[in-house]
Amino acid sequence: MELKKFFVNKLILFFLLSTLITAAVSLIGSAFDGDAQLGYRDMLTPMRYAALCMLPSLVMYARHELSPKQMLFRKALMLLLLEAAILLIAFTSDAIDTDRIEVVLVIAGSVLVIFALANLFLWWKDTAEAKKLNQELAAYQALHT
Amino acid sequence: MDVRIEQVGTRGEELVLIRCREITEEVREIERFVKSRQGSLSGIADEKQYEIAVTDVCYIESVDGKTFLYTNDRVFETAYRLYELEELLASKHFLRISKPMLVNLMKIQSIQPAFNGRFLAILHSGEKIIISRSYVKALKAALKGE
Repeated sequence: MELKKFFVNKLILFFLLSTLITAAVSLIGSAFDGDAQLGYRDMLTPMRYAALCMLPSLVMYARHELSPKQMLFRKALMLLLLEAAILLIAFTSDAIDTDRIEVVLVIAGSVLVIFALANLFLWWKDTAEAKKLNQELAAYQALHT
Repeated sequence: MDVRIEQVGTRGEELVLIRCREITEEVREIERFVKSRQGSLSGIADEKQYEIAVTDVCYIESVDGKTFLYTNDRVFETAYRLYELEELLASKHFLRISKPMLVNLMKIQSIQPAFNGRFLAILHSGEKIIISRSYVKALKAALKGE
């Protein structure tokens, strides 16, 4: 993928994450701590979190098409960086009790499970698409043989 | 350069003759075009020139400005540019599947997923090549004959 196109995609991801984090904070905040007072500095929090969560995906950039093995390695690296980013957010947040090891483990485990499920879903979707492509390919080759 | 077309009837020998003062790159280009339309491509391997049947070519790759033709068991360097071959071979089942690669659709044995919306084309020769995500839509359209 071209570098410019890649960065445009990442910028879109950043703004999407910012919006979703803002929406999640508003919903959770109004449900559990509706009277909380927030300052101007707090308005930057969703963007800070979005940037931290988007940065690990930059390791997926490659000028040439990656082989499946290289792609797996990059995905593993992205997961590690994502774990680090989420834990950094957790450790710098006053609202999360990171002194309790079980809290840290649940956060790290959640990231792992969500990452695995998201990729499993994408793999399942791609497998279904590949099955359809194989059927269409067989029909195409039969027609032109 | 003047262009004349002469009909030779059903029994006459068909021939494309280029009369030129000098064999320039332009003349070579016309020669390559005519040959490719007839179903063969010129390629070099082991410092020898070969005429390769288009139907024998599995895929074509551009590496560092050079273009290579891959058959089941050999690799030939060719003077064509990838975009030229893309145009010339569009009607001969060749399709661009990534920025530097064209594949002969008739040489694909199966297609497998390869992460992130990309696919792996397994060729009859056993080789595996990546179908880039941005070219999947074109592949689907080509297979449907669109």
